[in-house]
Amino acid sequence: MEYILTIMVLIAIFVILASSYNLVIGYGGLATVAHPIFYALGAYTSALLGIHFGLPAVVCVLAGAIVAIVASVLLALSALRVAGDYLLIASLGFQLGLLQVIKNFEFTGGPGGISAIPNTITGPWRTPVYLLICGSIAALTVWLIARIVHGPYGRAITAMRDEELAFSALGRNAMTIKVVVFAIGCGIAGIAGGLYAFYFQYVSPEQFEVLHSAAMLTMVVLGGMGTTMGPVVGAVMLIAIPQAITFLNLPPAVMAPMQGIIFTTLVMLFLFLRPAGLVGGLSKDRMAGRTATEKSSAGAAE
Amino acid sequence: MTDPLVLLQILWTGAATSAIFVLLTVAFSLTQKVTGLWNFAQAGFMGIAFYAMFYVLNDLQMPLIAALAAGAVCAALAAVLTEVIGLDVLRARKSGSLMFFIFTLILAQFIIYMLTLVFGTEPQTLYKSIMSPVRIVGGIAVSNWDLTAVATAATMLTLLFFFLKTTKEGQFLVAVSDNAKLAELYGISAKRAYRVTAVIAALFICAAMYLTGTRGGVTPNSPFELVLAATIATLLGGMGRVFIGAMAAVILALIQSFSVLVISSRWQNLLLYGFLFVTITLFPRGINLPRLKPKAAASPSVTVGKPADVTQGS
Amino acid sequence: MTVVLRVENLNKAFGGIVVADNVNIEISKGEILGLIGPNGAGKTSLFNLISGVLKPDSGHIHLNGRRIDGLPLYRRARIGIARTWQNMLLFTTMTVMENLLIAPRSYPGESIFKLTLARESVRQAEVEARKRAMQILDRVGLAGTADAMVTDLPFGHQKLIGLSRALMNDGDLLLLDEPMAGVEGAAYETMQRVVRQEAEAGRAVCVVEHNVSFIKDLCTRAVFMSNGRILQAGTVDELLASKVLTDLYFGV
Repeated sequence: MEYILTIMVLIAIFVILASSYNLVIGYGGLATVAHPIFYALGAYTSALLGIHFGLPAVVCVLAGAIVAIVASVLLALSALRVAGDYLLIASLGFQLGLLQVIKNFEFTGGPGGISAIPNTITGPWRTPVYLLICGSIAALTVWLIARIVHGPYGRAITAMRDEELAFSALGRNAMTIKVVVFAIGCGIAGIAGGLYAFYFQYVSPEQFEVLHSAAMLTMVVLGGMGTTMGPVVGAVMLIAIPQAITFLNLPPAVMAPMQGIIFTTLVMLFLFLRPAGLVGGLSKDRMAGRTATEKSSAGAAE
Repeated sequence: MTDPLVLLQILWTGAATSAIFVLLTVAFSLTQKVTGLWNFAQAGFMGIAFYAMFYVLNDLQMPLIAALAAGAVCAALAAVLTEVIGLDVLRARKSGSLMFFIFTLILAQFIIYMLTLVFGTEPQTLYKSIMSPVRIVGGIAVSNWDLTAVATAATMLTLLFFFLKTTKEGQFLVAVSDNAKLAELYGISAKRAYRVTAVIAALFICAAMYLTGTRGGVTPNSPFELVLAATIATLLGGMGRVFIGAMAAVILALIQSFSVLVISSRWQNLLLYGFLFVTITLFPRGINLPRLKPKAAASPSVTVGKPADVTQGS
Repeated sequence: MTVVLRVENLNKAFGGIVVADNVNIEISKGEILGLIGPNGAGKTSLFNLISGVLKPDSGHIHLNGRRIDGLPLYRRARIGIARTWQNMLLFTTMTVMENLLIAPRSYPGESIFKLTLARESVRQAEVEARKRAMQILDRVGLAGTADAMVTDLPFGHQKLIGLSRALMNDGDLLLLDEPMAGVEGAAYETMQRVVRQEAEAGRAVCVVEHNVSFIKDLCTRAVFMSNGRILQAGTVDELLASKVLTDLYFGV
């Protein structure tokens, strides 16, 4: 039972991550792969503040979110100045570089990571309470993002992604919108990181590698990019299904690669058979992650 | 003051070791140039090439030439199949760059998990012993491996250079990389060019994996680090400049080797990423603009980026 | 007459291709200036330079006496440059109404701060924009399509939506890039009527158009461009009377 609850906490955390990532890539049309590094920044910041300063968990998690926001703004301001898909490769480099820093510094625990993150909730109800907290924050995230993408702001985001050039020529500041959307998404990922750190009391660099970028990306794409519930469905499926085979009692040497094979096979099947996602509602080119820049620069060429 | 001989030794060993990165960077960068794609699936092809050679040498006990052939054929087959079954479908759908990113990365991961399942996570070398005879040339230790590595890289680079410059097939590749749509108009098949590129990349990958596997242990996970190094060299060398990318690979390897003198060895990797990090965050315009979208898919924007096109139609 | 737009000695080249070669133009309040010339003459590029899509190599652009050539695209729109696009560039996943609502010069809804701290002003702006959008749609006869997806409209109507979206910007300068291309029948009449009304209401209008009779009907003055240069300025009849120009235009 404890095990299932733990998986559910993990699912809640990934719902937060996938939804916030969807805000950035699905709604915002910003092709970044570095979402895990903002998750990492949140996790490490709150873990370190918790260990060394004994600050309350809420403060640590919020500080983690702020660090993630600051880092995301730095990345966005430098990468978005260059047109096209530069953000994709810049974000990849950003992630690899920061991970390498984390792996090499003493205070981040190096490749081994940080353990002994203080426990904030004790007793038999620890996991259910955490599930309640993470579940509520996940629900709040989904609701908040749904609010952002509807109404006047959502209209601006949609228009920007549709035709950035025309959007700017109407007097809208596309750069500001991109940076803000990016910062909100990454800040939420930072919160997810803090939740992870305080629940599992352990963070290590390998949880934030490029492979996890692919995993998060898959959750969003499989569920349905640019839909409210898509990332939720994607996160639940991709965490739950590979976990299901742990009940088969396979030896560990087989188990780990088997889980990986199931995961990657699922991804590829869906990528080719159901490219619009399970909750697909968007037009073809949008779900395919075409960025607004490509389209509007094509427009400028007319 | 460091002994000049020590410096020379570091220079030589560093240059020889860089052969692996050079080969992998050329495979990665050429693919990026022709197809416009950052093909992370090459990590999977590296694993396939290595374990094919490993299997032929150790389980079948066949000679090296058979192993090399098996490695090259398997990697080329995997690369071409990836083109035909995977990438062509995504291109036909005009998928965005994120889709290609997911597909190539997940495919690499899939292959690596498969290899893990079959071969385990123990580091393996192609031969039982990886000791390579050493001679002293002018006070510098030069191993047979060093010589093989440098000769392989030099030969393959030269062949590639003349292939691109002098053969028809090679010029088709260049034409497609310049402008796939235009090349199609002149009867040059982009698909064919992509497949030829896949085979060439597979050959380079196979050679690099032979060198890697005769120098140290390889695990199913090692190709990931290798492909990331190739990505970094490609980025720093500038998109579409294969041979400059190869030079960037040599320089990066040398900087890493020489950094031993100044900083502790565990920072070496960080140095590599440090370069990338600084380039990306501080000089985003300093390097050429990447074309992440495969060109065939970029139908309306094939010519975007050349400012002259903005003037069309007026 | 008040000069709205003044372009002085504007130059722009891409490598060897010159798209603006010492261009000088003035457009006054209430005037409709026609911009004609063969394909590749630099007409759209001139629009791109004026609206801020392109940065000039040298020269100045003034709007109502204020120098604007250093301002980014979105700022120029906010101080009063409205434009349409040859291929419309409508927001294809949005409805007609949404396409228009995004287009006023001031749109507080694009600021997260205003959305959270000044919600009343955002709401007020929405109400006003909706009212204005309905008026404009009424004028072009498409009020009934407000909730349709723009891509579901016939081509001529999409062109009118492109114009309507630009009209949401109540600035002093209106740039129309081939408004009539592909437009026939009732939509043609509407386009002509609305453009004329805008000028009568005091806007300075500049039209790039291949449809000569449209230019003749609407414009008192026109300039002929070729290879980035203004070859001649004058009345439309004067320009069409020149054999050199008509040869250039109708293709030799």
